[in-house]
Amino acid sequence: MNPIDPRLQEALDGERDPSELPADLREVYARLMSATEALATTPKLSVSHRVMEEIRRIPAPTPVPVQADGPMRRALRWFGRPRAVTVHLRPVWTVVLAAGLTTLLVLPWQSDSTPTPRASEGVANFVGHFPGARSVEVVGSFNNWSRGLLHLNDDDHDGVWHGAAILPAGAHEYMFVVDGERWVADPLAGRYVDDGFGAGQQNALMIVRPAADQP
Amino acid sequence: MRRHIWPPLGKRWNNRDEACPPGVPVMVNEDADVVARVLAGDGEAFGILIRRYEPGLLRFATRMLGNPDAAADAVAESLVRAYRHLAQCRDPSRLRSWLYRITGNRCRSHLARRHTSDIPLSEAPAPALAEASDTWEVLERSEQIALVERALAALPAEKREAFVLKHVEGMSYEEMAAVTGARIPTLKMRVHRAREALLEALEEVVR
Repeated sequence: MNPIDPRLQEALDGERDPSELPADLREVYARLMSATEALATTPKLSVSHRVMEEIRRIPAPTPVPVQADGPMRRALRWFGRPRAVTVHLRPVWTVVLAAGLTTLLVLPWQSDSTPTPRASEGVANFVGHFPGARSVEVVGSFNNWSRGLLHLNDDDHDGVWHGAAILPAGAHEYMFVVDGERWVADPLAGRYVDDGFGAGQQNALMIVRPAADQP
Repeated sequence: MRRHIWPPLGKRWNNRDEACPPGVPVMVNEDADVVARVLAGDGEAFGILIRRYEPGLLRFATRMLGNPDAAADAVAESLVRAYRHLAQCRDPSRLRSWLYRITGNRCRSHLARRHTSDIPLSEAPAPALAEASDTWEVLERSEQIALVERALAALPAEKREAFVLKHVEGMSYEEMAAVTGARIPTLKMRVHRAREALLEALEEVVR
């Protein structure tokens, strides 16, 4: 299919005066317009009676009731409507503004999202060496021995799992749960107490010092 | 600055009852008034709109479907549908675009039911029968019409629709966009490709 000269397309689109076209394009223009005129004949048909009979049998259309907008809806529409905002700035201020924004983006944010313990609380640090473990979590008297609440992490995959929690000051019994099934008393705890089930098993014991006493 | 010419170049505006495209000044555009009458309960007033737009819609549907009977069915269904949903016509002053959009959708449904977007040549409209008294020019004209109709029928539906809206219904690209929902550059491309196909068909006859 050969492309039509763009000037001819413009003339056919009504965007260019066809009399400005070169003679050969004018001839093609005339041929195409003659062809399209041939299509513009209106068929000798009418569906008027058929449609009017049909619509007399169906319920009349009724206007959709327009509900008055409340102040809230009007306010929302006002906020949601796009508006042009024009700010006139000297070029020097534009540079200063750009530099300021860049600085804000480049500077690291010092966000201290770590919660601080109250005077009656302290930070408990848990560390365990479990090479090859897929997960390690801590259960104890402070979380009612419930799983899924305190997970340890091994971000560098060296087998050393660690984590911290803010606990009330005092003694807490605890155990590590390795891979969701193996309960292990912390080998580094240093203090242990009998678990009370009579099988000679022991829980690790941790003494949390109040934050006020910590240096 | 682009000029929008109405009626389009080379096209006579015979039926002054047909509405012109939006943005073009006209003396009277009472579509909105008629719509208001119908919605107020005067169902018979819908006949005014039918008489006003029926010729163009039938012409459009005939060129789209290649069959006058199918076109009549599509237009009748479209007008009844328009009546049922008249209250949902958001801008009654642009009723013409709305009616063409409904009719275009009905035509596409008809074409989809045929399981093909192209009209088989066997279904393309037959040329008007020549009579013994016809002159050579009349016979040549009949042949040209048949040729153009067949070339049009061979186009994919979306290009055929764009071409018919532009050249048969004389719409601006803005109004075509309102009718079809397609973007103006897309519509221009479709019209341009349709013209190329049509010109190729015409040139084959000259050879």
